[in-house]
Amino acid sequence: MDKKDSQVVDVSVQAMNLGTGVTGMAAGFAVTLKNMVRSVPGRNTVTIQYPEQRKPYSRRFRGVHALTVRPNGQLKCTACFLCATACPAECITIEASAVTDDAIEKVASRYEIDLSRCIFCGFCVDACPEEAIVMTREYDLATHDRMDELQYGISDLTDREEIQAYGAGYRPHMQYPLVESYLPTELPAKPQDDID
Amino acid sequence: MPIVTIDGHPISVEPDTLIIQAADRAGIEIPRFCYHPDLRPEGNCRMCLVHIKGFANLSPACTTPVTDDMVVNTAHQHDQVRQATKGVLEFLLINHPLDCPVCDQAGECSLQDFYLHPDYGLHPSDVDPPEKVRKRKALNLGPIYLDSERCVMCSRCVRFSNEVSGTGELQFVHRGNHVEIEAFEDRALRDPYAGNLADVCPVGALTSRDFRFKRRVWFLRHANSICAGCSTGCNVRIDYAENAIDRVVPRRNPAVNKSWMCDEGRLSYHNLQDLPRLESPLQRTEAGLQPVSWEEAMLLGQEGMRGPYGRVSAVVASAMATNETLWILRQCANSLPTPTEIDFRLQSINPDINAREDHLLRRLDKAPNSRGAMLLGAGAGRGIEAMAQSAEEGKVGVVVILHYPPLVGQDDNARLAAFQRLIRGAAFSVVLTNTVSGWWNGADVVLPVASWSEEEGTFTNFAGITQLTEAALTPPGEARPAWKALRDLLPVGSLSPRLATVEQIFDRGVAVISAFEGLHYATLASREATVYPPEGRKSYGQEGFAGR
Ligand code: SF4
Ligand code: SF4
Ligand code: FES
Repeated sequence: MDKKDSQVVDVSVQAMNLGTGVTGMAAGFAVTLKNMVRSVPGRNTVTIQYPEQRKPYSRRFRGVHALTVRPNGQLKCTACFLCATACPAECITIEASAVTDDAIEKVASRYEIDLSRCIFCGFCVDACPEEAIVMTREYDLATHDRMDELQYGISDLTDREEIQAYGAGYRPHMQYPLVESYLPTELPAKPQDDID
Repeated sequence: MPIVTIDGHPISVEPDTLIIQAADRAGIEIPRFCYHPDLRPEGNCRMCLVHIKGFANLSPACTTPVTDDMVVNTAHQHDQVRQATKGVLEFLLINHPLDCPVCDQAGECSLQDFYLHPDYGLHPSDVDPPEKVRKRKALNLGPIYLDSERCVMCSRCVRFSNEVSGTGELQFVHRGNHVEIEAFEDRALRDPYAGNLADVCPVGALTSRDFRFKRRVWFLRHANSICAGCSTGCNVRIDYAENAIDRVVPRRNPAVNKSWMCDEGRLSYHNLQDLPRLESPLQRTEAGLQPVSWEEAMLLGQEGMRGPYGRVSAVVASAMATNETLWILRQCANSLPTPTEIDFRLQSINPDINAREDHLLRRLDKAPNSRGAMLLGAGAGRGIEAMAQSAEEGKVGVVVILHYPPLVGQDDNARLAAFQRLIRGAAFSVVLTNTVSGWWNGADVVLPVASWSEEEGTFTNFAGITQLTEAALTPPGEARPAWKALRDLLPVGSLSPRLATVEQIFDRGVAVISAFEGLHYATLASREATVYPPEGRKSYGQEGFAGR
């Protein structure tokens, strides 16, 4: 911008900016104050004791993935690669192999999600024609290692305790409340305070 | 010449051209299953129906020759044609298992593409049988897997095995809904060209065992190449991903291989993948050959090649090398300070480049560029045996050996033994090769070079057709294209201007030689052989991903 131009100041605009600035600031402080008063110890505390205490969150939360299984315990995934195709972060690695079962023909012998790259968009779940991959409500993924511990293979995606503990999250093709029998193990009932 | 009007476009074609061929030439799309440019048209699938003005019924475009002033309308323009095509598709899909997720053809399947076509696809089915007709699935026929449920009964495979490979191993059995393709007693196919069946089959009924479940086709990247399996020089497309070849399929070139290639050539990339590849330059030390940097190896090579004087030099070329590499190798030979003999033949007998192995494509000469090597004068000596003889008599100073193991068949032991004798007898020896092996023990410098599919260049086939092969992969480790290594071995300033690309070597070097006169690298590159499949049709349903 020209130096001359910058010196021209429209007083009315300045006054308006000042006005909105002040009201905006006041509104912000009002929220702060309200919460400050609210959270005086002993009264209605907003802060919770995470991780012992947790907030309710959506039933359709897009957390860590789970691979679903057939009644006989075999993976439902037929390695069609639609999830890997849809994945914008390109973090799904699949290797297919043949099975003698004529009705199935093809299974995933390796299925790996690189959670360090995953953006939890849920496109893989949307893309899967068989609901072979769903998302659980698991969200706490902190590790001491950025690479290895965040590479989830078939057993991580089917056998981990957390899958049952957190329960199923995002599953676009299913009616809510969920029929959870597809998940690797019977799921315990979840607390009722969840938000749908 | 008759002029036919298709969808309002006047097209002038030779008499007896079929409507579908005229449309293909003009880029107007007519859906088809049974028509194949290199098979006799049969007209059985009715997918290609078109409306011809003045005809009461629709006619198949694949069996109707054009006549002058014919006015044709395709499904793009004509409602009746659209209805008919839709009907054919609907019938084909009644008993189709819709198992695209486990089908290797998905992504390059005609049925899938046509069903997604905005003009005649995407229709709801009016036929809803209580139970689909079930047929055999995943039947192993040797190089090919048969899945009868996916078959659209186009008979391309039957015609291929009757007309092209001549083995006649496939036939239809049963009738009506229950028609199936069958090989006698389900025996494995013994056709050395069976791999083409997976290419001709427009759907996933015949798929390749080698490519089975390896990769979904939309992840593949493509490079147009030339098969290095024999002197025929079939046009191929290398399909690769993650720096590894997943499959090789033929590209259509009516002048060389039509739409076919042999199974040996198709699978030859495995031989390359199985080779223990040399990844770093080596230099001779007290403790045997030790890895060194390229710079050191080059200095050593340049110095060694300048002396010792007063004796003759021997340069061994390879018919597996590109014309460009061979041309630079010639310059290398010329630059040596002593009289130099260069040859790629074992004895001074010219290879019989034309000799056929069978009635179709394969030739006995298992190197792709013997003709090029002859034309470039890389076969001008007394043969490698004779050179080795001289070396043993202590007459040879510098030896340069360029060698790639063949991609079809085994390395010739007599040749390797001659190399050993050359190295042993020479005062200084440089070896350029792509494989770790024993014969080069004792060489002074060993340089790792790129293989077929890792470098671009040209091959000249048995008939003297010069064809371009593109690079698909990056060479392993520190390996470089041989022409680069050889160029850098030349004394500084001996090539002026410095040739930085294969294109420059071809245009300024190779094309100066009378046999290559009039050729330009750029036109070789743009002279595209037609790719088959998907042969002039666009894939539908791809737009969604392309726009992402
Ligand atoms: S197997 Fe393939 S090529 Fe053979 S008739 Fe069936 S669809 Fe056609
Ligand atoms: S005939 Fe020769 S060039 Fe053609 S595919 Fe076979 S080996 Fe390759
Ligand atoms: S392509 Fe013409 S009838 Fe099959």
